[in-house]
Amino acid sequence: MNHGFFIAFNRIRQSQPKARGFATPIHFCSFANKTRLLGLLTAVAFIGGCDQLDPPAFRLNMVEAVSNETSTEYQQEIADVLGGLFGTPDEPFALPSTGLDLGKLRIAAGPVWSDSAGKHLGLYRKHCVHCHGITGDGRGPTARFLNPYPRDYRQAVYKFKSTYNPAKPTDEDLHRVLIQGVPGTAMPSFSLLPSSEVEALVEYVKYLSIRGQMETELIRYVFDELGEEEEEDENGNLVMKRYPLDPETDADQREAILEILAEIVDGWNASSEAVIAPEEAEIPEDNRAPEEIAASVAAGRDLFYGPRANCVKCHGPTGLGDGQQDDQDNWNKAHKVFLETLAGETEPELVAAKSVVADSLYPVRNAIPRNLRKGVYRGGRRRIDIFWRVYAGIAGTPMPGSGPASAGAQGTLTDTEMWSIVDYVLSLPYEAPSQPQQALPENPNAVTSAG
Amino acid sequence: MNIRKNSLGMLTISLVLATVAPATGADWGSLKGRLIVDGSVAAPAALNVNKDTEFCGQNKLLDETIEVGEGGGLANAFVFLYLKRGKSVDVHPDLASSGSEPAVVDNKGCRFEPHVLLLRTQQTLEIRNSDSVGHNTNFQTLSNPAFNETIPASGSITKMFEKQESYPSNVVCNIHPWMKSFVLVRDNPYMTISGADGSFEISNMPAGELEFVFWHESKGNLKDVALGEAGKTDRKGRAKLEIPAGGTLDLGDIKIAPTALGL
Ligand code: HEC
Ligand code: HEC
Repeated sequence: MNHGFFIAFNRIRQSQPKARGFATPIHFCSFANKTRLLGLLTAVAFIGGCDQLDPPAFRLNMVEAVSNETSTEYQQEIADVLGGLFGTPDEPFALPSTGLDLGKLRIAAGPVWSDSAGKHLGLYRKHCVHCHGITGDGRGPTARFLNPYPRDYRQAVYKFKSTYNPAKPTDEDLHRVLIQGVPGTAMPSFSLLPSSEVEALVEYVKYLSIRGQMETELIRYVFDELGEEEEEDENGNLVMKRYPLDPETDADQREAILEILAEIVDGWNASSEAVIAPEEAEIPEDNRAPEEIAASVAAGRDLFYGPRANCVKCHGPTGLGDGQQDDQDNWNKAHKVFLETLAGETEPELVAAKSVVADSLYPVRNAIPRNLRKGVYRGGRRRIDIFWRVYAGIAGTPMPGSGPASAGAQGTLTDTEMWSIVDYVLSLPYEAPSQPQQALPENPNAVTSAG
Repeated sequence: MNIRKNSLGMLTISLVLATVAPATGADWGSLKGRLIVDGSVAAPAALNVNKDTEFCGQNKLLDETIEVGEGGGLANAFVFLYLKRGKSVDVHPDLASSGSEPAVVDNKGCRFEPHVLLLRTQQTLEIRNSDSVGHNTNFQTLSNPAFNETIPASGSITKMFEKQESYPSNVVCNIHPWMKSFVLVRDNPYMTISGADGSFEISNMPAGELEFVFWHESKGNLKDVALGEAGKTDRKGRAKLEIPAGGTLDLGDIKIAPTALGL
């Protein structure tokens, strides 16, 4: 393990000689306009700040860095460690312990070109980068104008998957999203790509996620474990001593970093065991009689508007998505919180540093519950897709799960009840808008809910 | 070689030179103080109760972010022992079984009761809904798996956290987004929350130099707070304090500028 880490560091040292700017704090494109304030770096994170000749570079998560008052020196050291562990957009790298397939990563990474055998390379930059950005931060050139915004992979939170709410998606889940796209959003379908290319892209999405998670963890590690402390020098004077992030020479740091990486990788490896498998006996047959389906739809409707499943509170009394609209998903909420801390900030240096980052953020958007009358399902329209959404909720969004939170746990609703809700949801687009109101008398608590 | 009894009464043998941890053995001490907002604080604002208004609007719900009691006491601030990654602390025998009772967070009157909570790793947390309206609990953690679950009227779920968190976790209800609470999960008992009058105390800690985090939900780490003769919190809201053997380090009245709370 440690050996690999050393190799990783040596490798990056060789491939990134100082002369090419790796050792200066401005090797991230977005750091072109740099001001130094209180040891904090304010980065102008606009797109297209790179010189055409510079190879594209990963950019630092400035919301996290500024929130954690990560100094310029530490930013550079974090970038170095990340470079050692993950390489660059042109030359990706992954330690064997990550389980990432370097061959696949190389097909997806780098500039767009075809080799002499006609094999396509640079797939991520060809198909994804204008929305998801080089770093996978969801900030490609077209991102600002889209709703929802393209996904920022760095939190490693995915919405449309087969696993329990906190679990990572499986490779098949990501594969499915790429093949089907996310209907009703800008995320297109890539069903025309050969499956080997889709697999390479899935691997690259995971790579960017793991790298993004590691970056955030490193920023927190530096905040929690390192920093400056007052110490006496040889003359007995108090001086500030900085403890650098330097895993190459500090064995404890090296161990800690590899541990953190292993935890992240474990999370991904555990996804296949976290797949929600509906109870066989409760799965409705394909050839149900119309009366049976009608009864299930009616039961589902009662639940949907009732106080146990609570769908009505967000999706509204007619399923139009006009219930609770005052909330945000995790990504927008993080930015909202950041803007709020800026509003309450009094230290001029921090105001300046945070303002620059704040100016670069896209407008915060609320999470609007889905209009279920349209019959457009972003995570797929099969019954199992809707079942997974109801069971686990939609990770990273306000939508809660109604099934057990993990294997063996106690859920709020039974499988049968959730399948009925699925039947009702799938019938909702064809239901007259007045119908839920008629259901009210059976369900006094439903819409008004005064207990 | 150094042979001595540790808190469990078992003999431990360790090399003196390798011992840099705080003193183990029979020497225990306490920390106390009182957090006071140094300035006037406006009365808490009414919350925007825009869902289930008939039920949730019954009680006038107020913003609980900053709770200031009599004499300016700052309630609901967390004070807890900081430990470097992978480090543990000796626990006083009296506290060894703390956290064996389940803790409860209730959804009651469309707010979380309590608003702030301390929890040990492996301690059972029951999240209850005493209301006649449905809620959901969206628990945002950094180290443990986050979750977001429906809690039906009169229902409950139970949870356990395996890892400790570095800071209090934010818990919200998305159906009623004004609802929030903070839960701190640690794997040692050395943590507390300031009471209605701003006072706090942590007892039975191993004497010696220990480091503490001062944290409040308004702005997170309470940085650069003067702690009298004991110094001040650093830019991370942390302070190294000398806990006297068999005694109490009393920080007295600790003044917090309203700006430190974003006021
Ligand atoms: C035109 C813009 C656009 C392009 C091009 C694009 N995406 Fe997306 N992508 C989006 C948007 C918008 C979302 C967010 C959808 C949502 O949150 O509902 C998204 C979401 C995703 C997700 C998350 C799905 C989930 O379950 O949460 C993945 C994975 C993804 N994209 C991968 C890719 C890959 C790989 C490519 C290139 C092969 C790509 N995208 C190209 C816009 C785009
Ligand atoms: C706290 C608010 C909330 C509650 C309660 C809630 N939802 Fe949602 N729901 C949402 C939001 C927000 C989205 C959109 C998430 C996204 O894609 O970003 C959503 C999306 C959906 C979708 C769309 C899935 C897709 O693939 O496009 C379905 C179906 C759905 N909800 C069904 C339900 C059902 C059934 C219930 C009750 C069991 C329910 N919701 C309860 C907020 C809620």
